[in-house]
Amino acid sequence: SRVDYCHILLLLLLFVLRSCCVIRYLAKLSSVGSIRDEETCERLRGLIQKQVQICKRSVEVMDAVRRGAQLAIDECQFQFRNRRWNCSTLETMPVFGKVVTQGTREASFVYAISAASVAFAVTRACSSGELEKCGCDHNVHGVSPEGFQWSGCSDNIAYGVAFSQSFVDVRERSKGQSSSRALMNLHNNEAGRKAILSHMRVECKCHGVSGSCEVKTCWKSMPPFRKVGNVIKEKFDGATEVEQHKVGSTKVLVPRNSQFKPHTDEDLVYLDPSPDFCDYDPRTPGMLGTVGRQCNRTSKAIDGCELMCCGRGFQTQEVEVVDRCSCKFHWCCYVKCKQCRKMVEIHSCR
Amino acid sequence: MAGAIIENMSTKKLVIVGVTLLLFQALAFMVGGLIAPSPTTSVNYMATKCVDASKHREDTKWFMPWGPNLCDKIRSFDEAMAKRIEANNIVFAVHIPMQNMEMSPWFQFMLVILQFDIAFKMHNQIEEGAVVTVDVGLAYRDDMFSEWKEMVHSVEQRKLHCNLSLPKTYENEGRYYDCDHLPFMELGSVAHKYYLLNIRLPVNERKKVNVGIGEIKDIRLISIHQNGGFTKVWFAMKTFLTPSILIIMIWYWRRITLMTRPPVLLEKVIFALGISMTFINMPVEWFSVGFNWTWMLLFGDIRQGIFYSMLLSFWIIFCGEHLMDQTERNRFSVYWKQVGPIVFGSFCLFIFDMCERGVQLTNPFYSIWASDVGTELAMSFIIVAGICACLYFLFLCFMVFQVFRNISGKRTSLPAMSKARRLHYEGLIFRFKFLMLVTLLCAAMTVIFFIISQVNEGHWHWGDHTVQVSSAFFTGIYGMWNLYVFAIMFLYAPSHKRYGDEQSSGQCITGDAGANSGEDIQLTTTITHVDGPTEIYKMSGKEAQE
Repeated sequence: SRVDYCHILLLLLLFVLRSCCVIRYLAKLSSVGSIRDEETCERLRGLIQKQVQICKRSVEVMDAVRRGAQLAIDECQFQFRNRRWNCSTLETMPVFGKVVTQGTREASFVYAISAASVAFAVTRACSSGELEKCGCDHNVHGVSPEGFQWSGCSDNIAYGVAFSQSFVDVRERSKGQSSSRALMNLHNNEAGRKAILSHMRVECKCHGVSGSCEVKTCWKSMPPFRKVGNVIKEKFDGATEVEQHKVGSTKVLVPRNSQFKPHTDEDLVYLDPSPDFCDYDPRTPGMLGTVGRQCNRTSKAIDGCELMCCGRGFQTQEVEVVDRCSCKFHWCCYVKCKQCRKMVEIHSCR
Repeated sequence: MAGAIIENMSTKKLVIVGVTLLLFQALAFMVGGLIAPSPTTSVNYMATKCVDASKHREDTKWFMPWGPNLCDKIRSFDEAMAKRIEANNIVFAVHIPMQNMEMSPWFQFMLVILQFDIAFKMHNQIEEGAVVTVDVGLAYRDDMFSEWKEMVHSVEQRKLHCNLSLPKTYENEGRYYDCDHLPFMELGSVAHKYYLLNIRLPVNERKKVNVGIGEIKDIRLISIHQNGGFTKVWFAMKTFLTPSILIIMIWYWRRITLMTRPPVLLEKVIFALGISMTFINMPVEWFSVGFNWTWMLLFGDIRQGIFYSMLLSFWIIFCGEHLMDQTERNRFSVYWKQVGPIVFGSFCLFIFDMCERGVQLTNPFYSIWASDVGTELAMSFIIVAGICACLYFLFLCFMVFQVFRNISGKRTSLPAMSKARRLHYEGLIFRFKFLMLVTLLCAAMTVIFFIISQVNEGHWHWGDHTVQVSSAFFTGIYGMWNLYVFAIMFLYAPSHKRYGDEQSSGQCITGDAGANSGEDIQLTTTITHVDGPTEIYKMSGKEAQE
């Protein structure tokens, strides 16, 4: 059988992981350990040889990659909080279960958000000066350090995207372009990165004589990651089902329904239809079902009890919630609140 | 005097001069587009959040975002919350430039722009008219191991302009506000290799300092400096242009002094234009590479201002002296109505510049736009300057209109003249119009290239070549105005050639007595000689006949 681990980044997170869930592990990891020396690269399970090489070559970047992975999981869980499949992670390999080992719509989202999050986190690390060869690294775009004095360096985002391309995509590329899954994953990775690139904010400053626009300098800044998540989620909703076709000697993905217009670089594509995610299936890891999930009684959408519980009905509980109210805030790190208690009805699926 | 060179030059020679100038013009564009990099570079910095654990604040302590002495940093404020770190103990540190880079005096100036990432929270929203108080220190050093030396320390206030493009619901908690970027710092020279910024946002509830500014997630800085490569190309260009204009200027003035009559107003104005061009050309910026002269930016502004006002005055006087009506001009005081707005407008901009860049000489964090009064003051200066500019252009347009009307008036009498004379007049008017056209063309080119460089992303790809559009704009337009001044000084220099043998000497005297610009006299006197007191003669009303 095909040993198709989940997305490589998420594997990366699991290298020391022996117990409990990814989220709790990450929470712990963010305050302590980090990938600092080259030996760690060897110990990372699930990396292919080429990735270990990249890891060794740019150990300093790996910490950003780790943060990117956490960002991806958080964002995935936020975007899918109201859906039957809520991006729940597993303690076993692969992290998202079998849901993403098949070429489903959900898999396309996970791949896209992961590639985007690596580019995002690496770019951010660049901007905070943590990475030594960022921006002016002549291996990846840009110019030599001497070039900084002549013409400045390339954008940090160029480095972030290029790193994501070399590190994330190498896995699919090493498999060869032939398999339709590799094609799908590569496409979705690129679509994820495009979600950042095409939503870069351009801002300008005029600084000519007396502040006139005779001289104007513009710069690009990354959108907040929530925005990137929203864009990819939109692409998920409008994803195209594709199949592999041979055009000449190359293989390409074309929409299964020929009446649909062909997908663009920014659209997500998938090969297999998704399961309904209604019931727990012990044979399929990650298929947790919707039993016990909270739902919205008034909504008619997917978060409504009707759809969420797959017609099994729901139970209602009344619970007392302790909430914060009339708070005083500082811009950071200080909140003084009163506690307010209120009764809330909670509906959960049978 | 037989008039200016432009009148006596054959069309062939005029074409040769024109083509030569065009070649230089193309060269100027190519130097900028192909050799120079883009004029400026921006670098994005994400401030590192450092924790100042000390109980009492020491001003000598500097926090480094990376490197061997890096500070005790935190990733997010949730972490700070858990560790019970207060807002007053958080220092945002930014090192300029990035690792392994060095700043250089070739960068000429450095601006820093401040941007806040503020998350929306239902219970902690940004209040109306919120003001952020920033406690900022700037330090420098010239090698990686010495101590940081403080350059400036200042407490600044900046008004937040943020809005949330989404409905303010619980759903959208955690989304970021769209905040306008804030001017933060402006250095007039980059004399040191490394700079370090330490920013604090102290909270004082009693004094309402930094209260109601929302939940700040990150501080981002954008630094802008001129590219070293562009500076070098620019300096090289200035160094080349200075002697060229200087030589033609000396040549021009020598020609004028060789004449028996004193120079007329137009000739003086052209000379003044040459002086202001040389003043702007002089590559005194070379000194900024060796010396830490922070006032260079301000000085550059002043030089540009002088040149612009000189150029605008020249246009007005040029038109006025070609008006060909009854009034006698040739005195600067006649033009006070038109030149007044230029002088006043430039003066307003000068005051504004002194208020902004002048104050920045002592405090680089100062911005006139930061306070309400300052903003109003700055706006009023700019608006007054704008009104002056409009007034000036109205005057100019009206004058140009008058000149053309008078020329067409003269044209009607052309058929009555003999063939040789008519051809001569047509040529004269053509050449005058030609110069008007060149001026318009230059102005239009400036506007068009300005728009192109604004609209474009700054460079075009041409196969393997990258054309830096905005650099080409700067060098090209700069070269163009140099060539323009050069051409005017060359073509309007008095000619030694005497044309039309029969009335040469008489004309010369009348021309001088009329004391008007060369061409104008030529036009009037020739007509009187040949055709007697015509309609045009009456109109031009010269005392020449007496």
